[in-house]
Amino acid sequence: MSGRKETVLDLAKFVDKGVQVKLTGGRQVSGTLKGYDQLLNLVLDEAVEFLRDADDPLKTTDQTRRLGLIVCRGTAVMLVSPTDGTEEIANPFIQPDGA
Amino acid sequence: MLPLSLLKTAQGHPMLVELKNGETYNGHLVNCDTWMNIHLREVICTSKDGDRFWRMPECYIRGNTIKYLRVPDEVIDKVQEDKNRSDRRPPGVGRGRGRGGGHGHGPDDASGRGGRGGRGGGRTGGPARGGGRGR
Repeated sequence: MSGRKETVLDLAKFVDKGVQVKLTGGRQVSGTLKGYDQLLNLVLDEAVEFLRDADDPLKTTDQTRRLGLIVCRGTAVMLVSPTDGTEEIANPFIQPDGA
Repeated sequence: MLPLSLLKTAQGHPMLVELKNGETYNGHLVNCDTWMNIHLREVICTSKDGDRFWRMPECYIRGNTIKYLRVPDEVIDKVQEDKNRSDRRPPGVGRGRGRGGGHGHGPDDASGRGGRGGRGGGRTGGPARGGGRGR
């Protein structure tokens, strides 16, 4: 318990739930979280990578690639969010932010 | 005013986080740590080009991928209130040093005193005045 105190988000509540993970370099993976450690190394089961547009690596496409059981190295993990409740939406800003 | 003090004060406030890859995340800050890892709730993610949007209930963002954060103006007033408190015991630095020096004594003494002693020694730089044990 004390070893995991350092994370600001307790990943325990995501175990056996679907999570979406963005990795440095732009890959995006989703799968069922089976385990993790304090370095944010993740074990994902039935992982699926969202392939990106060859011309524009920023855009993810609908194409996927099945990866199976994987370990995501913590240093490469940029973002973790639950799959459940995550959805693409229309522009929620009257005027796009960050302009 | 330390950047991380401001960020810690901004807990519970809405904020915008832009990552190095250009994606932005708007959400309420739940928690953050000394690595600037952050936990946001009720998040709206915007793609780099600003034409796609995702809603997610929460997300964890690794600190080293952050380019910058925008925090509400009112947070800066609150951070001033905390200033006196943080003067007495600056966050992060003191605690970090404390772990090394403060061994072998009572459980209460070890972390707190060791930390302060270590900091003093570092600032003066004199080995004779080091006082690293916090006595």
